[in-house]
Amino acid sequence: MNKVQHSIFAAFTPGARRLPFIVGMSITCFLFAFPVLWLILTSVRPESDIYYVYKGTNFTLDNFRQVLDNPRVTLAFFNSAVVATVATFFSILVTVSSGYMLSRLKGPIARTWFGTIYALRCVPFVTWVLPLYFVEQQYGLYDTYTGLFLAHVAVHICFFSWLMKGFFDGIDPAMEHAALIDGCTRWGAFLRVALPSAIPAISALSVLSWLFSWNEFLFALILSGQHTPLTTVVMAQFVSEMGMQWNLMAATAVLALVPAFLLTLFGQKYVLRGLKI
Amino acid sequence: MTRKPSRRRWFGEQQRFALMLIVPAAAILTFFQLIPIIMGTSASFRDWMLYNPKKTWVGLAQYEKVLTDPAFLTVVMPNTFLFMFFSVVISLVIGLALAVAMNRVFRGQKFVQTVLLLPLMVAPVIAAIMMRWIFNDQFGIVNVVLDAVGIGGLPWLVQRWTAFSVIVLTDIWLWAPWFTLLLLAGLQSLPREPFEAAQIDGTTRWRVFRYLTLPMLRPVIIVCIVIRAIDAFRTFDTVWALTGGGPARQTELFSLYAYEEAFVFLDFAKGTAAAMIGAVIILVAGLLLYRVLGHVREGS
Repeated sequence: MNKVQHSIFAAFTPGARRLPFIVGMSITCFLFAFPVLWLILTSVRPESDIYYVYKGTNFTLDNFRQVLDNPRVTLAFFNSAVVATVATFFSILVTVSSGYMLSRLKGPIARTWFGTIYALRCVPFVTWVLPLYFVEQQYGLYDTYTGLFLAHVAVHICFFSWLMKGFFDGIDPAMEHAALIDGCTRWGAFLRVALPSAIPAISALSVLSWLFSWNEFLFALILSGQHTPLTTVVMAQFVSEMGMQWNLMAATAVLALVPAFLLTLFGQKYVLRGLKI
Repeated sequence: MTRKPSRRRWFGEQQRFALMLIVPAAAILTFFQLIPIIMGTSASFRDWMLYNPKKTWVGLAQYEKVLTDPAFLTVVMPNTFLFMFFSVVISLVIGLALAVAMNRVFRGQKFVQTVLLLPLMVAPVIAAIMMRWIFNDQFGIVNVVLDAVGIGGLPWLVQRWTAFSVIVLTDIWLWAPWFTLLLLAGLQSLPREPFEAAQIDGTTRWRVFRYLTLPMLRPVIIVCIVIRAIDAFRTFDTVWALTGGGPARQTELFSLYAYEEAFVFLDFAKGTAAAMIGAVIILVAGLLLYRVLGHVREGS
């Protein structure tokens, strides 16, 4: 199988000659990995050598110890993990049903709903996050987990409903029809027949959703304060308000990268399979 | 909205089911997106300084302020559209080239794939801070290398167009792999037969790419462009962390402009008015793109 694919595509990929291909791929890998490698290198340099990252051989894990001793950083990691996980759970919960409805049911409700989420997805974040600041203060949700994760869910609903619709479109509804004929209710057909076959899609979207919330910045900046600092904001503060502490910023960023990296590594195959539009 | 259940029994049951499926999502959207948008619209017609929220109705005065602000017209809007154009086009070209290159079996493919996934794991704000560090005019590695080879470094982030280029470059780094993954998924789901036929006919690789791959991939490419263009328009993190809009607000994009007006210059009403103008522009663009998309979907 692989062999066949190889011969066909090797012959038809532009620039498939061996040496230029290897050189090209190496350069590409280097360029895409470079900022991350540089970040890691910066994170293990002592503060005195930070402005000459490229020379000298002093390496230290002191930066990591320092940020992990900082209660605000550890709190931020905890908060980000909670917000990302809870947001992912609720995003999937509401978008599975919303996507299913878009895929299986036709008519005015589906059309209106599709138009609504398409339009709301186009609206720039800044347009609703500025007033959301006041709205959340009125609800008493400003600077709380609920206020943060529900805002993330709101971001996800539009795009993920759309993706979910795509997944369900790819699943033959014949099984659900059979279940309905056998006396299953619509809910039964959805929960017991369609849902299990959507598990790959759910896995893919869970990974994407978690990464988005973990890395999100604008909402964190505006909707979080003293109680619920999030990683991205705390990290950015290392190189602005508290002076230029590149080494500490880099150490925090590397720590933040670890869960994202592990998740992506394990979720890779689902995401790649799930990304088909 | 047509939320009223119909009298007809069978229809009513289906409609109830449809509504039940979307009620949770619709509730969250209402409270966290619709109500803020309505409130923002209302705020944009008022006098609402954050240090002195009089909230008196001033009609279109805020919109006039934004639309006659030379910075908005000659810097922010051109920046936003140039950014959108260059970021999307270059990311697409690089992403497509990489997708075609990745669409074959070679040793180390897993490794390349993992490297390409890196930008998707890194928070845009970290990527931007990292680029700021790499392009630092005194200590950044780019200038060190340029000095070493005798070209001489540039004060990247303190001149308008070099700073703007670094912002675009960061965005390309972040999003070209995203194009690659989506396009690669598209490539792998293409039918095999036309390629086999072309092989038998002895067609050149370039012609196969130009006349087979590209047209068959067109729907996926267009979906990618639409999604990315809408997202590029509202880019915030990258600019905030890289230049903060500087030097002298010369690299501000639309989102940062609205944010700065509202939370830095504390003119909440002017900020929301700017945000509304941006929303209207992108909604119109989005609807046009949606039409195009519809045609493509039907055509294929």
